[in-house]
Amino acid sequence: MSAPSLASYIVKRPFLKRWMMPIAQWYTDASGYRRLGLKADDLIPEETDVVQKALKRLPPKEAYDRIFRIRRAFQCSVSHTLLPAAEQTKPEEDVEYLSPIIREIEKEKQEREDLDALVVRR
Amino acid sequence: MMLSRSTFSRNAPRALQKQCSAAGASSRRGMASAATPGLQYDVSESAGVKVANREVAGPTSTLALVAKAGPRYQPVPGFSDALEQFAFKSTLKRSALRINREVELLGGEVSSTHSRENVVLKAKFLSGDLPYFAELLAEVASQTKFAAHELSEVVLKTLKYRQQALAANPEALAVDAAHAVAFHRGLGESITPSTTVPFEKYLSAEALAEYAQQAFAKSNIALVGSGASSADVSKWVGDFFKAVPSGAQLQSAASKYYGGEQRVSTKAGNALVIAFPGSGAFGTAAYKPEASVLAALLGGESSIKWTPGFSLLAQATQGFSQVRASTQNLTYSDAGLFTIALSGKADQITSVGKNAVDLLKKVAAGEVAAEEIKKAVALAKFRALESAQTLETGLEATGSALINGSKPYQIGEVAQSIDAVTEAQVQDVAKSFLSGKASVATVGDLFQLPYGEDLGLTV
Repeated sequence: MSAPSLASYIVKRPFLKRWMMPIAQWYTDASGYRRLGLKADDLIPEETDVVQKALKRLPPKEAYDRIFRIRRAFQCSVSHTLLPAAEQTKPEEDVEYLSPIIREIEKEKQEREDLDALVVRR
Repeated sequence: MMLSRSTFSRNAPRALQKQCSAAGASSRRGMASAATPGLQYDVSESAGVKVANREVAGPTSTLALVAKAGPRYQPVPGFSDALEQFAFKSTLKRSALRINREVELLGGEVSSTHSRENVVLKAKFLSGDLPYFAELLAEVASQTKFAAHELSEVVLKTLKYRQQALAANPEALAVDAAHAVAFHRGLGESITPSTTVPFEKYLSAEALAEYAQQAFAKSNIALVGSGASSADVSKWVGDFFKAVPSGAQLQSAASKYYGGEQRVSTKAGNALVIAFPGSGAFGTAAYKPEASVLAALLGGESSIKWTPGFSLLAQATQGFSQVRASTQNLTYSDAGLFTIALSGKADQITSVGKNAVDLLKKVAAGEVAAEEIKKAVALAKFRALESAQTLETGLEATGSALINGSKPYQIGEVAQSIDAVTEAQVQDVAKSFLSGKASVATVGDLFQLPYGEDLGLTV
């Protein structure tokens, strides 16, 4: 699901991380989804089995909030407006809520594939 | 295939001789079979967990974890079912799929069931794999994850199917209803919540995890093995069950018999259950061997093919081909329920129900031949011993006895107690049934099915 990324390489090296963080924060902010009140995980494409399954596993409150954010952003987009500053997503609110579940499902899938390809030597 | 006459005739006398000598030896042995190794459980305690094991020579073994966590002890409906379904699901160490594949590779068989009082996790395997399965049971007991998605994706769905299966089985519904009127709470809880029970509002993964902590606490479980050597079993159980949490036993109020009548309308079929306070499990205060003899005497189902058998109900139902009758004495750790279950066509159930009560009155009046009672004693003895010997029933009964602190099954004593039942005792127990309050549960076409009063019972 994820594109190739240097993120883990950078995060492992503190000096690189110190350099890159301000740039990353500027870039994320500039991409503009926060001004529509969305979180980064709202942007994950839904049209795969894995993400569909992950969405089903969301706790009811999370699922409700997600739909609310998406509809609000849609309204903003239709009316060509941005949310007032108080309602925009703050950087500390922009946390992963769906990705951990997706990673878990991918791990399960991987495990199943590995077990199916298992060769037993006795 | 051609069998030459000479081969046959050469072997026949030898086979005959062998058979005779075997019969001679076994008949001389008689009831001393109580001392036969393999049927007696060695009881020990390792790592604070009670362990019973019997060494049966053979290549396979069985290890069962019996937890006192059946519907009787559950805090809210549906918990025992869910706990049973969560067995062998993902644990903190490995996923459900992995457990599944590992067990398949080893060629074992794992299953879980629950009765009114216990949840039983059972593993059958080649004896050499004992350490693996002991570890697996310990892991399931103490480290199951109780993931919310497994609850909604697997457990709840299976539970719904189970409810539907129950709703389609009028006799099971009637037995549940009879328990409910007989014991109210505790033993009266139904084995699986019926389709109309709003159990979803109580069921959450967190609450279930908390219940599992209590259900699988050291004092609340017993391990029962069959096959492997006792030393091995207690060694591996001691190794792996150290990490299982210790805590108090789950408690429920002592069972009290109430009695009454319940009628449930359904299109699934017809069933009538007439129940009386029966005999508890062996070794408990409520143990009454005469109730099991009376159950065998009334009977209804034949133990021999192509014949109705000697039992009174079977004789009485001969003209009614559309009805099935069976009498059972369901035993629990501090009470029992004596049930006469009839299912089939509504009008025939009505007539057979009247017959059944008349038969009970006949027994109470002592109008049954002594010979019949002798046959019933023999059948009751066979059933008691057989249920102790077969794995399915024997493991749970032994585990339950260990947890509740009563005597584990002593085959010799059980046989003696049933042998000692006299005609007068059977008559007395039938009288006490008729004088006390009965529990009557009717399920099905209520327009045709009778009330307890119509059958001549006091409810």
